Amino acid sequence: MPEANNAIFRRAVVALSGGPTDATIVRLACELGRSRHTEVIAVHVVELDWTVPLDADVAERSEEAQRVLDAAEGIADSVHGNLECVLVQARDVGAAIVDEAAAREADLLILGLPYRTRFGGDFAIGRAVPYALKSAPCAVWVVREPIGEESQ
Amino acid sequence: MTAPNSPLRGRKLGDRRVVVDRPHSAYFRYAGPGVMIAKAAASAPTTALGRRLARVRAVVFGKPLSTAQEIEERLTKKLALPIFSSDAISSSAYATDEILRVLILAGVAWMTWSIYVAGAIALMLTIVAFSYRQVCRGYPSGGGAYVVARENLGPNFGLIAAAALMVDYVMTVAVSSASALANLGTAFTVIQPYKVELGALVIMAVTAANLRGIRESGNIFAIPTYLFVGMALLAIGVGLVNTATGAAHHLPVPLHHDDVLAGTQAFTFFLLLKAFAGGSVALTGVEAIANGVPAFKPPEAKNAANTLIIMAVLLGTIFIGLTFVGLQYDVRATTSQGATVLGQVGAAVFGDGSFLFILLQISAALILFLACNTSFNAFPRLAAILAKDDCMPRQFAFRGDRLAFSWGIVILAGVSIAMLWAFDASVDALIPLYSVGVFICFTLSQAGMVIHWRKERSSGWAWRSVVNGFGAILTGVVFLVVAYEKFGNGAWMVLIFIPTLIAMMLFVRHQYASSARQLTMRSGAAIPQPHRHNRVVIPISGVNRAVVQALNVARSITTDIRAVYVSDDPTHSDEVRELWAQAVPDVPLVLVESPYRALIAPVVAYLDVLDRSWPNEQEEPITFVLIPEYVARSWWERMLYNQAAKQLRAALLGRPHTVVINVPYRRDDTRAAASATEQPAGTLVATDNGQPH
Repeated sequence: MPEANNAIFRRAVVALSGGPTDATIVRLACELGRSRHTEVIAVHVVELDWTVPLDADVAERSEEAQRVLDAAEGIADSVHGNLECVLVQARDVGAAIVDEAAAREADLLILGLPYRTRFGGDFAIGRAVPYALKSAPCAVWVVREPIGEESQ
Repeated sequence: MTAPNSPLRGRKLGDRRVVVDRPHSAYFRYAGPGVMIAKAAASAPTTALGRRLARVRAVVFGKPLSTAQEIEERLTKKLALPIFSSDAISSSAYATDEILRVLILAGVAWMTWSIYVAGAIALMLTIVAFSYRQVCRGYPSGGGAYVVARENLGPNFGLIAAAALMVDYVMTVAVSSASALANLGTAFTVIQPYKVELGALVIMAVTAANLRGIRESGNIFAIPTYLFVGMALLAIGVGLVNTATGAAHHLPVPLHHDDVLAGTQAFTFFLLLKAFAGGSVALTGVEAIANGVPAFKPPEAKNAANTLIIMAVLLGTIFIGLTFVGLQYDVRATTSQGATVLGQVGAAVFGDGSFLFILLQISAALILFLACNTSFNAFPRLAAILAKDDCMPRQFAFRGDRLAFSWGIVILAGVSIAMLWAFDASVDALIPLYSVGVFICFTLSQAGMVIHWRKERSSGWAWRSVVNGFGAILTGVVFLVVAYEKFGNGAWMVLIFIPTLIAMMLFVRHQYASSARQLTMRSGAAIPQPHRHNRVVIPISGVNRAVVQALNVARSITTDIRAVYVSDDPTHSDEVRELWAQAVPDVPLVLVESPYRALIAPVVAYLDVLDRSWPNEQEEPITFVLIPEYVARSWWERMLYNQAAKQLRAALLGRPHTVVINVPYRRDDTRAAASATEQPAGTLVATDNGQPH
């Protein structure tokens, strides 16, 4: 991780899923990046299956997809942080996030890890987090959703 | 919808992704399903002139604040105390003088009674402060005496309290700025002829500070208030120490002989009552905190109540302290031009001309000047509450860019400047109008609290209602004495202003109630499909692209369309008729010759004729009047066009069964209009120089 200007990161990409961890990771990135010359980019990926063309007018018309980024922007505003929001359509969420982080030369990628309480509770690790951990060309932070008493 | 971006290649073979445009994001933010929040950019000006003005406004008043920032603008107790208490605390600077000026009429010996009178006033202050403390807790949405009276005595009593308070707030601004200038005028005689202009400037400066928001104005005005409190307490402290050590034995102030008052009357109970009423000016401004409870940081009611107590303790301490120390130093009662009790005490304890004495005098002048700031905070809040109750125009409830109630602030400034101008900034002329209204509101709020306790029956209700009942009688008596004393000197005007203001508020309430009755829908009523016939009338000034645009809009409304051309030139009419028949054969054109050269009235008369010719057994149709308008690029160009359109719009305003629609035609609409006529742009026939009137 670069240590220039004592910054933890220079440019961080925050992967938003629309889940409960979004607020935590946006707040974390904005607070760490505040008052330094850093950039925080929130990326939300809308996954399209192969029956739909990749450039189909899906995400732009999806209020839900827009709302994920707008909510992140609201959280960033509340902690006086700067957040650039990017909405992406792709076939695979993990690959798109890593590609976006690489294209923007990010030195940190932050992802949330939701916790499912059903069936005794477990982390919904999915495919995106392992892919990012394996393939990202930068540091990757995975922030888990608070569990048990932490969530209260 | 914007065009999708081209796919970007990924790191893996065959991976693609598309970055999607978010056109709304610059202006709006989704907050929930179907709910958007406008960002600052959505309300930013779009023209160059507008942007320049916004920049100037941001420099003068500060950048606009969002509603969410309201909580950050709330006041801490430390900041709220100077904002809401400068009026009350400043009155301690002259309340003792008011008592002495009455008691001296019975002779110097009776001046010792000033401490008893001050004690009685302090008791009344305790009762009033106790009452308003309960008001803060019982009515945390603010409004003070108005809300208490409205809830417990009835809406009309609420209006009396509100009107009395509003008049008093205006007078506070006028009197405080006039007295500050009078003080300055004694030191700098050169400003004497410009008192009104300078007073207006002073009020405008306070207005600008308040338009910057409550927190910023608090930051600006806090220092003088705390400086005065500190200096007054220091003077009292030193005076008490001197008294205890036996050093308080002489008065070193060289008083001008003409300024010192002397005894001319016998001591009577009425004289004592008059002294009590005179000193009661100390209570003015006590109610301001109860009006502004929502301005405090949470817990609002508790913080407001505690600030009120701090204010009452400070006011009482300074008032009693000055009176007591003044007696020990044998201060003299003087005319309004002479040295004040505060000045005499300051000179006695600090030494005449010393640094601390000068600092005390400066702080006193500053706080007298800033007393008006309390009004600038209390008046707009009261007006906003009245507006929410439909007793004032609703604009008073709107918050400006900086979350201040801008309308209330500006109106207060305007009326106060008018008062200054009307009374030539003369303190002697203005002072009789001051502090009359506030005792009406004290009396009503105390009486309201008696009923409040009796209704609520919470623990201690009996003794609380006795205390408030006693307070109501006391403040009522003070009101009668003050009104009687000042009536001949101008207080009669206040007793006219208050009923006038009440009548205005009743009128506004009646108007809003009447319009609400007309607009209210039956709950659960399903809205039927429109069933009335629609027809369109297009007043034209020739055959041009703006008219084509209007025709296109008309065709989307109905098929019953007709154009009206009013002309004062018969030869030109024929030309227009010919062009019209050629260009728009399916829409009838009515030519109206106007030998008296009127353009607007014949159109209105034609509409009347259309209405009259409609069969009586059928429901009146809705007439859409589509006014073609050419929109020029710059503001100065726009002055050259559409003057007749504006007059026509004004003439049709309020016409029954008539909808007026402006159809703007911009230069970049050329292609649309041209294609609508199926002719290439530039070949469309234009008359009347191609421009509408």
